[in-house]
Amino acid sequence: MNRLHRLRAPLALAACAGLLAACSSGGGKTSSSQLVYTSVDATNPITAGAPMNPFNASGNYFPSYDTMQLGFDKQNPKDPDDFFPGLAASWTISSTGITVKLQPGAKWSDGTPVTPADIKLSMAIALTQGSATVGAGFLTQGLDVGSVTEVDASTVQIDQAAGGTNLNFARLVLGQYIVPSSVYGSLVPSSIWSTIDDLASADSATASAAVTKLNAIGKAVSAFSPAKDVSAGPFVIARVNPGSAELTRNPDFYALSKIVPSEVILRHFSGNSDIWGYMKSGELDSAPYTSMPTNILDSVLKTGYTRVDSASFVDAAIAFNESDAPYGQAAVRQALAYVIDRQAVTKVGEPVGGTAASDLTGMVESATKQWLTPSQISSLNPYSPDQTKAASLLTGAGFKKSGSQWLLPDGTPWKITLQTVSGFSDWNAAATVVSSELDSFGIPTQVKLTSDFATYKTDMAAGKYAVGFWLIALGPSASAAYQRLYGQDDGYTANANGTVTHADGGGNWQHTPTSYTVNGTAIDPGLLTAQLATLSATAQQTQVQQLALATNEQMPVIPIWDYTNVNFTYDKRFTDFPGASSPDINGLMYNQPGVWMMQGYVKAK
Amino acid sequence: MKTLIRRLLPKLAAGLVMIWAVASFTFFLVHALPGNPGDAAYENYILAGMPPEQAQAKVASIYGFTSHDPLLAQYRGYIWRLLHGDLGQSISYSGVPVTHVLRAAAPWTIFPALAGLIIAFLVGTSGGALAAVKRSSRWGGVLSMSGSFFAGIPAFVLALVLAFLFHTEWNLLPYGDTSDVTLTPGFNGPYIASVIQHAVLPVATYALLAYGGWLLTMKSSVISVLGDDFILAAELRGLHPRTRMRYVSRNAILPMFTMFALSIGYLLGGSVLVENVFDYPGLGNVLFQAIGARDYPLMSGAFLLITVAIVLANIVADLLYTVIDPRVRR
Amino acid sequence: MTTLRVLTRRPGRVIGLLILLLFALMAVAGPSLYSGTLAVDPNAIYSSPSSQHWLGTDFAGSDVLQEIVVGARYVLETAALSALFTAVIGTAVGLVAGYHRGPADSALMRLTDFVLTIPGLPLLIVLSTIWSFGQPYEMAIALGVTGWGGVARAVRSQTLSLRERGFLEAARGLGLSSRHVIVRELLPNLAPFVAMNMLLAVIAFMGAEVALFFLGVVPFSSSNWGVMLNQAVFSGGAMDSPAALSYLLAPLVCILLITIGIVLFLDAVDELFNPRLRERP
Repeated sequence: MNRLHRLRAPLALAACAGLLAACSSGGGKTSSSQLVYTSVDATNPITAGAPMNPFNASGNYFPSYDTMQLGFDKQNPKDPDDFFPGLAASWTISSTGITVKLQPGAKWSDGTPVTPADIKLSMAIALTQGSATVGAGFLTQGLDVGSVTEVDASTVQIDQAAGGTNLNFARLVLGQYIVPSSVYGSLVPSSIWSTIDDLASADSATASAAVTKLNAIGKAVSAFSPAKDVSAGPFVIARVNPGSAELTRNPDFYALSKIVPSEVILRHFSGNSDIWGYMKSGELDSAPYTSMPTNILDSVLKTGYTRVDSASFVDAAIAFNESDAPYGQAAVRQALAYVIDRQAVTKVGEPVGGTAASDLTGMVESATKQWLTPSQISSLNPYSPDQTKAASLLTGAGFKKSGSQWLLPDGTPWKITLQTVSGFSDWNAAATVVSSELDSFGIPTQVKLTSDFATYKTDMAAGKYAVGFWLIALGPSASAAYQRLYGQDDGYTANANGTVTHADGGGNWQHTPTSYTVNGTAIDPGLLTAQLATLSATAQQTQVQQLALATNEQMPVIPIWDYTNVNFTYDKRFTDFPGASSPDINGLMYNQPGVWMMQGYVKAK
Repeated sequence: MKTLIRRLLPKLAAGLVMIWAVASFTFFLVHALPGNPGDAAYENYILAGMPPEQAQAKVASIYGFTSHDPLLAQYRGYIWRLLHGDLGQSISYSGVPVTHVLRAAAPWTIFPALAGLIIAFLVGTSGGALAAVKRSSRWGGVLSMSGSFFAGIPAFVLALVLAFLFHTEWNLLPYGDTSDVTLTPGFNGPYIASVIQHAVLPVATYALLAYGGWLLTMKSSVISVLGDDFILAAELRGLHPRTRMRYVSRNAILPMFTMFALSIGYLLGGSVLVENVFDYPGLGNVLFQAIGARDYPLMSGAFLLITVAIVLANIVADLLYTVIDPRVRR
Repeated sequence: MTTLRVLTRRPGRVIGLLILLLFALMAVAGPSLYSGTLAVDPNAIYSSPSSQHWLGTDFAGSDVLQEIVVGARYVLETAALSALFTAVIGTAVGLVAGYHRGPADSALMRLTDFVLTIPGLPLLIVLSTIWSFGQPYEMAIALGVTGWGGVARAVRSQTLSLRERGFLEAARGLGLSSRHVIVRELLPNLAPFVAMNMLLAVIAFMGAEVALFFLGVVPFSSSNWGVMLNQAVFSGGAMDSPAALSYLLAPLVCILLITIGIVLFLDAVDELFNPRLRERP
């Protein structure tokens, strides 16, 4: 017992100390006199125990702050190669490659210059990160770098492998992370470029041996944990806590004069609600897009934040498995599109970060406006809520209404199970409204949630869901958008020889027909989509228009809302943020504040 | 001493068997989960605004760390590596050793949970003794009622209420980190103060959660000791109430040690909820993220660490019991 | 008669009983009170309490009070069922182990240790991704199967001490079968203890089940209190904006009320079954 007595005193003391410390809130800060910029990196929440390595899937690295690319995407739907300069001051694109002029005076935070050797190493590493593949994918979609040549001390030429026809090559090169060879060089054997040459070898054994070799190097690279951060960006990581990262200004940055904050603090978050909390207490100088309800928007605006809207190339939709009756009939999908009031659904599901889809072409609205002619746009069916039209479409397809409920043509009651995913709160909220609307139209609808996205995707690919939520229109390019509708998920595969095959087997869960008739001409949507990947942006017009019109008529998916990229800025500590009228606002908002600063935005107040 | 070792050895052996059983069980359970690490990651990247090509590449790099051996071969490898103290490579952290990830997170669960447990023990046992002695008065009733209440209240409800009051409403305490990031970690005043300040909410939650259990157990233990003959004899002999109370508490505190082990398990399991509400980066959070990301090695590792802690706590409780109660040493 | 006197000796005990009866009624009659699906109203999202919506509305403009009443059944049915499972499994294991001792005892106790050692909540999270808990009994089985360890251990030690009592030795001496001794002699003596444990288990399982929904790991198809908490905190911003506050507080208060109700009522049960607690006057 005495033993316990002795233990008690120090414990009580510790408890008191705790209380005292709690009262003296945040005393002893080292950085009170400095200009600290606080934000959240949406794609890289701080992860305890993860290395400061951009090739690690959970790595603590922050693009545009300490992790640099040659350029930063402007998200231009008509010109995929439109980039903000990063480590590349300028570049020229040819049909076989890209020649990059590095920023004069570009230096790493250890004082050494950024050299073509760093670019060469970074391209080799990029090839080890899962892009290493052989066959058609390598030459048409992947980062098919064949050689990197130093032209002079600040100019480097990056070429596609022989026979490479990837239109996205330049854009892929510009978007790669550039890392210092002083840190990563030892992980990559000097023979790597001959291994890369083997990728294109005609002998398949040599080629696949090269893939294995590159993947092994890739594993070593992504698991690597550098002792300290060496950055060519405006900031360099000083410390990573489990819940936040502190970055200090890099005195060796090539455009130091543009960078105003002396320090950047990036907070960890595990859900949107954490970010709302930080904003409500005015902690963040800018905040990335989070899905939020109107009440939170109001309280954030009241705190003094400015809302900045820009286009986000993602769309939430309801997708069908057309091999499940009755969803194979276009009339049924069209009828459902007439029943669902997209305005009402958006108001509940994504009231701040979404606008109800209006054109229904499989692309987001801003992209549709750029690709289609005004007369084509006016010819699109807007599917405005209209229950009479829906009913007549269904009656025409042999459906009958008994009392208040619709019966399938075979006389059995029609019931829908609408599948969504736990954790995707906007889909779930939207599903509540959709099911209520379908219910009152006479189709009893049950919302079912899958526990997580991993299971959802597996089950979806296995064709287990007849009707479910899905993301479409990914990325600004029309090619990517239609790839989502008439690509792999629809059974289409692009072959090495340029042909396209369609198989009804595994991975094909959409099961749309291989032929649509639009304005009297038959088109194969999968073939057209595959062609898009091989055409330059300017040559895509006809195909994109055909696909848009066909999609609008056939409704393989019912788009519900276009996401809007809603960012917030806070001008209490800093001013001169990018705003709605800034040029390239879509691109600026797509990128992190480090890019804004490099572009001359963000000044001290 | 010899008796102590004779008592300890079989316990240790049983503990090892238990750890093996739990490790095997979790290994197979975890691999029975639907979905795979790649699928879990891809759409999350897309939703966060990453272009498809980049998301694809990131997922591909994760895929490289997913084992494609047959399950039994994986199991044999897992146990073999476990014997060498190797928990394998995390998938969602692209091959970072699991031990490394756990080592970074473990202190942020162990320190608040232990601090909460100790505070709860001190307050709970004193309160329990008081509640037993004063069980006829109104305060005694209120005290034991408070014990039942906090023993029953779900962990996350308590955490939500605390977070709402102290962070959202009154903005007194921070959450979402372990300390102010601008402070240099180490043994210096401001850093330690900041760590304690950031830990107040989780510690308070753990303490309140454990408090009820200690109070109720202590109360019933004291009541049963009070009815024992030797106390009656002491009362008849006219011993001072304080001396009598010392007899009582010394005897009543014994059963508490068996409860200690159970509390540890309860708190560590509950850390998933507490850390989720406060976004506190401990083991519970790591485990929760790992389940979502289908990171099998990390999940098994976190499970195993919690199990080992519970088994160890059992053994320690048993030993303490032996040291304190001479009757057990026979 | 004693029962009534014990119950009314403190007003809190009556209040506790009333709270429990109210919620039991809600669980039984709730879903038939409001039939069909919840009405949505996109024009009245997160509206504050009014005469039309006593507790305000949720993210889709549905009535919160209605959700509470409709959601009560899943929560309470699951908690009651899982408490029942725990009591049955725990009592059976504890009785057999404590009565027979020997190899059966050690085998069963190792199993009990195993169940007690595996961290319960993380295990449930993993289980919930394998198994969809659409029906209350499915969730109850999972909770019951992972939660009986404590009861088994306690019943065993009670059995061990009862075993040495005179009346049991007499029964055994008379050559009565083990089954008779266990069912007729031991079980009635354990019943009060098990009943109290069941009431406590109801609170614990209600907490665990709501926690799983709150974390969002269980796919939910209908509204229940855990789902409401999840929605309120993670998508309604109830922690940061007053608009969704009633949506957060309604289920929270219900859980707290049931906890208080059981605690208050347990006080009476405790005194009834534990005469030692009744002080010398």
